[in-house]
Amino acid sequence: MFLGRVIGELWSTRKVSDLEGKRLLVIEACDDRSDPAAAKVTPVVAADPIGAGVGEHVLVAFGKSARVALGGDGDYAYEAAVVGIVDDANVPEAPASWGLAELGSGGGV
Amino acid sequence: MLLATVVGQVWATQKCDTLTGLRLVVVRPFVRAEDGSEVASAETMVAVDPLGAGTGERVLVVFGRAARHVIGRGHDIGFQTAIAGIIDGMELEGRTFGPDGDLDPAQAHPSL
Repeated sequence: MFLGRVIGELWSTRKVSDLEGKRLLVIEACDDRSDPAAAKVTPVVAADPIGAGVGEHVLVAFGKSARVALGGDGDYAYEAAVVGIVDDANVPEAPASWGLAELGSGGGV
Repeated sequence: MLLATVVGQVWATQKCDTLTGLRLVVVRPFVRAEDGSEVASAETMVAVDPLGAGTGERVLVVFGRAARHVIGRGHDIGFQTAIAGIIDGMELEGRTFGPDGDLDPAQAHPSL
């Protein structure tokens, strides 16, 4: 489970039937890309059952938690899902790249 | 679930019985540089392709139990990566991508 920011959306016609009818969002983890320890930040794709918008901070769950959040169980073609839209966060040491200042109370700083 | 581009295909004659007849493709995950542009990942992976994706197409790759479900041969098989969808287009931070690269801005999403 990680904290990420929605950077976009994708659409697909040829896909397995389980993927029909669910929004697929492209989400990037809130990590500082200029930090050498995060040299490679790969965006992940997650299904979105709750309607997050581009630019919003979200909580992303993986594996069975994601399938359950999407209304399925073991036999379901998803492995990542948006399970929450972040209202506010207080992470004093978060770098500016996390964009927490855009959240409710100004990132709790 | 990752975004990736199909870069080729692999064949293997000697393999686990549970993998007989599966199409295997090599995919390269989509990675973004610091400025948001797309860069080629140095890493590649092999995925089962039940949809028939061609080289150069962008695909959605799933792992683990979701992948075994996509492959459709039960959960006791020797593979854990599969293609679940072929991507028609995507919109990332105002840039629109088609299946084979950036779309003409004139074709971009109406909300732009």
